[in-house]
Amino acid sequence: MSWLLPSNSSHHFLGLDQPVRIVQGLGSGSQGQVFKVQVGGESLALKWYWPSCLGRDPGLAERLQESIRRGSPNADFLWPLALVRPKAAQRAALGPAGRGFGYLMALRPASYRGAVEHAAGRLTISLQNVLKAAFGLATAFHALHSRGFCYKDVSLGNVFLDAEAGRILIGDNDNVEVSGRGGGAVIGTWGFMAPEVALGLSRPDGGSDLFSLAVLLFYMLTRHDPFKGALERAMPCLDLAARRRLYAEDPVFVFDRRDGRNRPDPIEHAAALLTWPIYPRELQQLFEQTFGAGLRDPGRRSLTGQWRQVLSASLDQRRLCGACGQENFAEPQAASLCWACAAPLPPPARLLGAAGVVSVAAGNEVHAHHFDPLAPEDLAQPLAQVVAHPQRPQLLGLRNLSCHPWTLHLAGGEAITVAPGETGSLAAALQISSPEGQLRVLA
Amino acid sequence: MPFPNVRLASRPLHFIYLCDCSGSMQAEGKIQALNQAIRQSLPGMVAVARENPEARVLVRAVRFADRAAWHIATPTPVEQLQWVDLQAAGVTAMGEALELVAAELRSPPMEARALPPVLVLISDGQPTDDFELGLAALMAQAWARRAVRLAIAMGDDADAEVLQRFIGSEPGRELPAPAAAEAEVPGASGELPRQRRGRSARRPLQASNATTLARYIQWASTAVVGAASSSSSRLISERGAANGADSGADSWAGSWAGGVPLPDLPPTELDPFEDFDPLLEGDSVDHSGSINNLGPLKW
Ligand SMILES: Nc1ncnc2c1ncn2[C@@H]1O[C@H](COP(=O)(O)OP(=O)(O)O)[C@@H](O)[C@H]1O
Ligand SMILES: [Zn+2]
Repeated sequence: MSWLLPSNSSHHFLGLDQPVRIVQGLGSGSQGQVFKVQVGGESLALKWYWPSCLGRDPGLAERLQESIRRGSPNADFLWPLALVRPKAAQRAALGPAGRGFGYLMALRPASYRGAVEHAAGRLTISLQNVLKAAFGLATAFHALHSRGFCYKDVSLGNVFLDAEAGRILIGDNDNVEVSGRGGGAVIGTWGFMAPEVALGLSRPDGGSDLFSLAVLLFYMLTRHDPFKGALERAMPCLDLAARRRLYAEDPVFVFDRRDGRNRPDPIEHAAALLTWPIYPRELQQLFEQTFGAGLRDPGRRSLTGQWRQVLSASLDQRRLCGACGQENFAEPQAASLCWACAAPLPPPARLLGAAGVVSVAAGNEVHAHHFDPLAPEDLAQPLAQVVAHPQRPQLLGLRNLSCHPWTLHLAGGEAITVAPGETGSLAAALQISSPEGQLRVLA
Repeated sequence: MPFPNVRLASRPLHFIYLCDCSGSMQAEGKIQALNQAIRQSLPGMVAVARENPEARVLVRAVRFADRAAWHIATPTPVEQLQWVDLQAAGVTAMGEALELVAAELRSPPMEARALPPVLVLISDGQPTDDFELGLAALMAQAWARRAVRLAIAMGDDADAEVLQRFIGSEPGRELPAPAAAEAEVPGASGELPRQRRGRSARRPLQASNATTLARYIQWASTAVVGAASSSSSRLISERGAANGADSGADSWAGSWAGGVPLPDLPPTELDPFEDFDPLLEGDSVDHSGSINNLGPLKW
């Protein structure tokens, strides 16, 4: 690969006091190349644009400036930190690259891998962490849209996933723009573009982002494309004309309740058929809404706040099959069978807070929003986690992850104190009192 | 418990090199340059394939000299591909090479469902056999008409007209008049005037030296593969073409690179600025003020 900026070269850029040393090239994309760089003792990433790309997108520098000025919507974006352009005296030495510019952003930590790796089945991740990552995506878009921005180019290629932590990072933020301005050269990626954008009826905006977000979440949750079913199988060659029909002119969601023309194929689309039943009805409905009424009417697409609420409620419902150990998310009230082994799932014990209910299953977490009806769903700071006893895995307890001691009220009337970091057994507990509020234990 | 052991559905993406191995390819190290360019391009091709799990990239190669033969006969997953050097000797049986490919693009052996194939023809001379017969056999196959067909001319003696016939021109515009050729692929160049004097992948790509050849091979095996698997971001400038692509029953077939918007060509050694020079000047005039006005850094 030939790089626009040679390794080990140092550059003085306009507006930066410190020189930027190019450590190595990290990757090459359609818009430019990304380098690992060293600036004043800190490791950062530098994206440098192909000169041809700049000609096509004259508003790019101004867009980046605005993003830099307003700052990252939350910590999950690899947001532009500073625009850099070579000083006039240096331009000639840089060759073609000297006519361009770039921007600095944080370096993606090695624990994050492309969401493509997940979709391709090349990484191991729990269902709980897939749902947490989906929640992270909905939350990131919520924050982005709350600032009036839209993202435009949602695709698996722009999302990174830490499978161990269930966390996400969103890269490639250079198409981000104030929603409704309609500038920029990139309109999206096939399969993720909203129909009205793919048809050329409108430019990407916050409303089309909601469609693309739903596609992305569907990919994350099912490892399948929401529009690849019988209609796609009927297309010999998946060229542009075919994609236009599939995604824009006549899109039919594979699980559409009213239109069954595009059902998944039992063999080729097995991923969708296996994974879709795992998820609670409320979650399925958000997809049905966006890919049904929301196909033609952006105003009827599921909102980021709805995704957050339903995804976090789904996580609260998580329980483990006693027979096979697999994670299940069925409604705790209804009698149900394990999706993986069909063993019956007994009703779970539950923790009842003033604003939410959490099933008792190892790994489930209690958050501030379970106590406070006004607190937004947030998974970043769990207050407690259900854990199994190290020697007796059947015995479940609640670990205090907060910084205050709790009181555990037992069936016999006694009360014990559970300090931060300690775990109180749930076997005989009736209620837990903490400064955040009360949790009742329902067996 | 892990996520169930499933993965994205995929379609095959057949990528076929057609390599001229006539005696003239021995001159000036051309055959070595071609072997080197293809071998060096493979890691990038593997990376693109990994980024596109919805495409199974399968590579083959035909060589042609006195006769045409499969150099790599089995559609080989790109991550398993080992390039064996081509040797040059003989004349230029290009027509027969097209017939070999035509037989493989028939269904079967072609799968019932696939992504648009990519055919890359590389030649430094004139066909010595019946090119027309071979081309007719090739274009009789629907998969060939839907394919992204690219041609690379090595040196100045390549038969540009023959290579252009392989690429084809938009139906209804029989002759590859320069203006027509440009109108076909807005995605290859953007809608901007810069391409007027520049290159287009809808015409044979001129590789006058090993470096340029390597860039074109790398471009075809990475950027074009990405476009054919349709993972790359779409540009506003492609929309007109996308609309036009299915406006007539057959107008997408054989035109517009098989209904695939072609990515920007790489810059070449000869004239690295030809593609973007004028526009960048405009850009720096328009926006230098805001660019220079940097705020303080965050760290
Ligand atoms: N902040 C970053 N840290 C590490 N690698 C990055 C970072 N940003 C991008 N990359 C890598 O650089 C390559 C190209 O970046 P990308 O933004 O996807 O390009 P484009 O938008 O031009 O297609 C990719 O391989 C990507 O993973
Ligand atoms: Zn089970």
